[in-house]
Amino acid sequence: MHPFQYQRADSADQAVAAVAKTPGATFIAGGTSHVDLMKEDVHHPSLLVDVSALPLKQIAAFEGGVRIGAGVSNTAAAYHPDIQAKYAAVSEALLAGASVQIRNMASMAGNPLQRTRCPYFRDPAQACNKREPGSGCAAIGGYNHVHALFGASAACVATHPSDLAVALAALDARVQTLGPRGPRTIAFPELHRLPGNTPHLDTVLEHGELITAIDLPAFAGRSHYLKVRERASYAYALVSCAVALEMDGPTIRRARVALGGVAHKPWRVGPAEALLAGQLPTEQLFQAAAKAAFADAQPLEHNAYKIPMGRNLLVRALLETSGLQPLQGPAGTAFAASVGGVAGQLATPR
Amino acid sequence: MSQPIARAVQTGDLAPDGVLPDGSRLSALRGQPVILAFAPDEWDPTLAYQSEIFARLSREFGSGAAFVDTAAEDWHALDCRGALAAQFGVAGQRALFLLDEYGVVRWKTVVPPGQDLRPGQVLAALEALNSPPAAPSSGGVFGGGLSRRTFVTATLAAAALLLLPGCGDGGGSSDQDSPEAEAAASGTDNIPVTLNINGKTHRLQLDPRVALLDALRENLHLTGTKKGCDHGQCGACTVHLDGQSTLACLTLAVMSQGKEITTIEGLSTGEALHPMQAAFLKHDAFQCGYCTPGQIMAATALVQDKNVRAGSAVDIREAMSGNLCRCAAYPNIIAAIQEVQRA
Ligand SMILES: Cc1cc2nc3c(=O)[nH]c(=O)nc-3n(C[C@H](O)[C@H](O)[C@H](O)COP(=O)(O)OP(=O)(O)OC[C@H]3O[C@@H](n4cnc5c(N)ncnc54)[C@H](O)[C@@H]3O)c2cc1C
Ligand code: FES
Ligand code: FES
Repeated sequence: MHPFQYQRADSADQAVAAVAKTPGATFIAGGTSHVDLMKEDVHHPSLLVDVSALPLKQIAAFEGGVRIGAGVSNTAAAYHPDIQAKYAAVSEALLAGASVQIRNMASMAGNPLQRTRCPYFRDPAQACNKREPGSGCAAIGGYNHVHALFGASAACVATHPSDLAVALAALDARVQTLGPRGPRTIAFPELHRLPGNTPHLDTVLEHGELITAIDLPAFAGRSHYLKVRERASYAYALVSCAVALEMDGPTIRRARVALGGVAHKPWRVGPAEALLAGQLPTEQLFQAAAKAAFADAQPLEHNAYKIPMGRNLLVRALLETSGLQPLQGPAGTAFAASVGGVAGQLATPR
Repeated sequence: MSQPIARAVQTGDLAPDGVLPDGSRLSALRGQPVILAFAPDEWDPTLAYQSEIFARLSREFGSGAAFVDTAAEDWHALDCRGALAAQFGVAGQRALFLLDEYGVVRWKTVVPPGQDLRPGQVLAALEALNSPPAAPSSGGVFGGGLSRRTFVTATLAAAALLLLPGCGDGGGSSDQDSPEAEAAASGTDNIPVTLNINGKTHRLQLDPRVALLDALRENLHLTGTKKGCDHGQCGACTVHLDGQSTLACLTLAVMSQGKEITTIEGLSTGEALHPMQAAFLKHDAFQCGYCTPGQIMAATALVQDKNVRAGSAVDIREAMSGNLCRCAAYPNIIAAIQEVQRA
């Protein structure tokens, strides 16, 4: 690990000023992503500004929705009664991610800002434009089974690993920030970028721009998160999806669908959403929507399996959200969000 | 300088097999990179003057404190007058060999008498290892632990160290030292860190890079908390911060100030075991025991957790999924937790 200076911030203004004026400075909250990558020699901040003691730990009603402070732990957010009841996808995404220990440590701002799990990114001996701009991409032509189907570039095919981010994208959450140039609001689907020629930039945040809160707008429908992984718990998603349905009597008034594990950012699928709006929920409709969602997928050498997996997952998520099929566990828990896992499937007698 | 008895082993050669000082065979180490360092002095990491140099080198190579354990445990001091040195054709000389996972020599250097092995040379060895393998080496996307490079850096630093004591002044110019390494060495000072552990206040001077796990184990000798993966993937390092289970390996010590830290040492009261410790014993909830302190810390937090349905094995499995057990004592661990939940 490279040496760094450490400073604990007492106020958001102080934190922003400290990072903004110091090249190479970063914030640190729970540290579960940042410290890991510092140990791997992937991150080498010059200065760590500790924002974990800032008074950004409230969850409160806000404009008919909920405002979640940036420093709220993943655990506290997941089990908050309003979030678990009204924004089940958020609780499900959180509780199906990482482990109890990591969720206790991880913050709501740090989670969507975690870095990719591309193995080449994590290994400084490998070429990676995200880690070291201009060094190339070892995943293109390498072992790319966890990489992107959508929006990739010739410079980078990494995916974003956060489960939470997928749910927040589907719910059109808003990110409140305080930057060197003052506060602003960012629509969640606009927070993350596509890689293009600058894959080292994950988000649109500026140097020294601090996330202060995440707002969940008013929502009266049902939402749900589903995730497939290589083991039943404590693993990242291979593919995931978040669905938010608002009904008008028996018909779907508005549908929002975001896919995870398939792109450099949570992937909203407009064509599928358009197909669902104004329709009666049926399995046939959901099949058509899933087909549309993956119509533009551009698989790499080792990740084409994600297309049928993702389609099936989305159909199931839509069936479960619309009530045509029961959830596999209580809404708002990890049990609703988890698809058996490889071990689970093998254990199920056929 | 005495003539080598055998032809010196060259880069690209399959290394000869031989017996290490602990009686094991060199070939048994296949599957991981291996450094062989031949030197006249015995390496003993417990000797203060050596560990001081060791710490200095580790800073220079920016590899952190994490590998001290690895180096100390896996270290074989190879006498340059021994049989293995003869097999490698470097009898009586100080030499360094780097073997890859297949036992093939990837890099070697023989240090002329009166000269020193410099960090620059070691860095050159790292470069030699940088040709990318077909698949990433560090355990895949979900894997982690020491990447190949970290391992090699760590072991090379240790190997270089071996050559330092008694190396005198030969070739003492620093022109081959990497400027980066020097900057690293002078970059950070220790800072005062106050930790509240098991009800006691400890005042330490720590490098801000030190993880809570290393502060507990290395500085305070509270070695009940274990280091498994060092990357948040196994749960062996679980401790409580303000009553919540937390991974000590991903927590910087400096960031755990002002919190109540509880480790496995703080669970029992005198000789009286905590009920969870007693239940683990009763249900034989371990084999090797390495994961056990972490399991018990996670389990004691779990029984306080109102979000986990008491008695439900499914809930326990899900809530304990962050604690891996290589011995697969899982059914017994669940039984122990259920018993405490019922009590
Ligand atoms: C073994 C393991 C398994 C995991 N499994 C999963 C999983 O299955 N699903 C999943 O979604 N995640 C998973 N995670 C990732 C985990 O959820 C994230 O590491 C965590 O949420 C990051 O939050 P943090 O507060 O610890 O962030 P930190 O590590 O503190 O910070 C992350 C980044 O965010 C920046 N940052 C932090 N706070 C702010 C702020 N307020 N404003 C601006 N920038 C900020 C930091 O500078 C840093 O770049 C796993 C992690 C580990 C180690
Ligand atoms: S040592 Fe494995 S999780 Fe901390
Ligand atoms: S008892 Fe051996 S790892 Fe769990």
